[in-house]
Amino acid sequence: MFGRRQRAAPDTFSNEVLGYLEPLFATAMRLTRNRADAEDLVQDTMVRALRFRDRFEPGTNLRAWLYTILHNTWRNRIRDTAREATDVDSERIEELASRPDGPAELETPERVLIRSTMDVDLKEALDELPDAFRQAVWLRDVEEFSYAEIAKMLDVPIGTVMSRISRGRRQLYEKLSQAKTDAQVRVSR
Amino acid sequence: MSECRLVTEQLTSFVDEQLDATRRVEIERHLEGCMACRSAVAGERGGQTVLRQHAQRLRDEPLPPGLRSRCESLVHEHARAAGVPGWRRTLVPTVLSVILLVFTASAIFSLATRRSDAVLAAQLTADHSKCFKLFVAGNPPVMDAHEVEEMLAREYGWKIHVPPSVDGLQLIGVRRCLYADGLIPHVMYRAANGQDLSLFVLNGVTRNPTDLVTFGHRSQIWTKNNTTFVLVGPSDETGRLADATRYMMKEADR
Repeated sequence: MFGRRQRAAPDTFSNEVLGYLEPLFATAMRLTRNRADAEDLVQDTMVRALRFRDRFEPGTNLRAWLYTILHNTWRNRIRDTAREATDVDSERIEELASRPDGPAELETPERVLIRSTMDVDLKEALDELPDAFRQAVWLRDVEEFSYAEIAKMLDVPIGTVMSRISRGRRQLYEKLSQAKTDAQVRVSR
Repeated sequence: MSECRLVTEQLTSFVDEQLDATRRVEIERHLEGCMACRSAVAGERGGQTVLRQHAQRLRDEPLPPGLRSRCESLVHEHARAAGVPGWRRTLVPTVLSVILLVFTASAIFSLATRRSDAVLAAQLTADHSKCFKLFVAGNPPVMDAHEVEEMLAREYGWKIHVPPSVDGLQLIGVRRCLYADGLIPHVMYRAANGQDLSLFVLNGVTRNPTDLVTFGHRSQIWTKNNTTFVLVGPSDETGRLADATRYMMKEADR
């Protein structure tokens, strides 16, 4: 028979890492758009964080380090499963998205839209954004990372990060405005 | 370069209020006379504001049951491993590397996997060892078989029967593993004596019944209704583990 293993007490580093589980899972959900994949991704991130903890420099930003591992792990996974196509096409998506926004698309008053947007609408609109834009706006506006930190996480230049944030925000706003307009039309019919 | 192009390039810094006062005033002056740029600023600011106002609630994504305790177990296991002698710390990664090497080699020979029972057993034994080593640590929580079945159907479209926990055998995990050209369900159990059992389900695959030992593990392979089941566990099963194995073989293909 096997004896029960002795549990060792976690240290400060491990406790801090465990403290980021919820935000890491929320970010993984927006990356994968799938609960089971997000769960796998967070668990893989945890395994790597513990395995490579010697590479973390004390005094630097642990949260940013964990998010970098999360994104690296996700990139490796989609590369392995040949789903990189979405990411490769991001430059083309950015070209398409760079067309000027017509004033007619933004007629809904901004404040009314912001007040009336439900979390579920917002998640749906976010999930419809191209992967590259969704990652950038999430890390900037929800997780409040700096441009430089995001550039490191996504492994792209800072200029590309800013361009993705800009286009992501505008596309998101357009989608929400359009959804509201469609809903109003349905109600008035 | 046109003034509009310059503004577009600095739109995010402008909306995020990260520009110096001089450049900010220049852009504001341009916006007064340029409707297209004003519209772009309104769109970007709208997206930014709606995200920031909902940020807290967007971050509140409930954790799946069991994820926190599994991660805590990983931490405890890691802390425990850090306390063992150096030669044992180096032995574990070495053994793991060998296992992963076997796994990779067998993946390369995926065609052979379809034909050879020995290669199939070697690959699934590698998956068994890898998944338990990497993803199960300490005392993992027991999972509900019905919930696991629902999750597999919902997330991956796999409709399989997952044998529930019984006295002496606990369902502790489920993962997807690579087999030949696709992914298959890997259901993980822990027996009362601490030994691990894995059930792999290969839909659309038929095999003759086989029982063989590979890398110190016993693989029992059988087929029912065009589905092959592979049960991987220790080769030296005795007593309650042998009971658990019999239960699994009886229950898995129901």
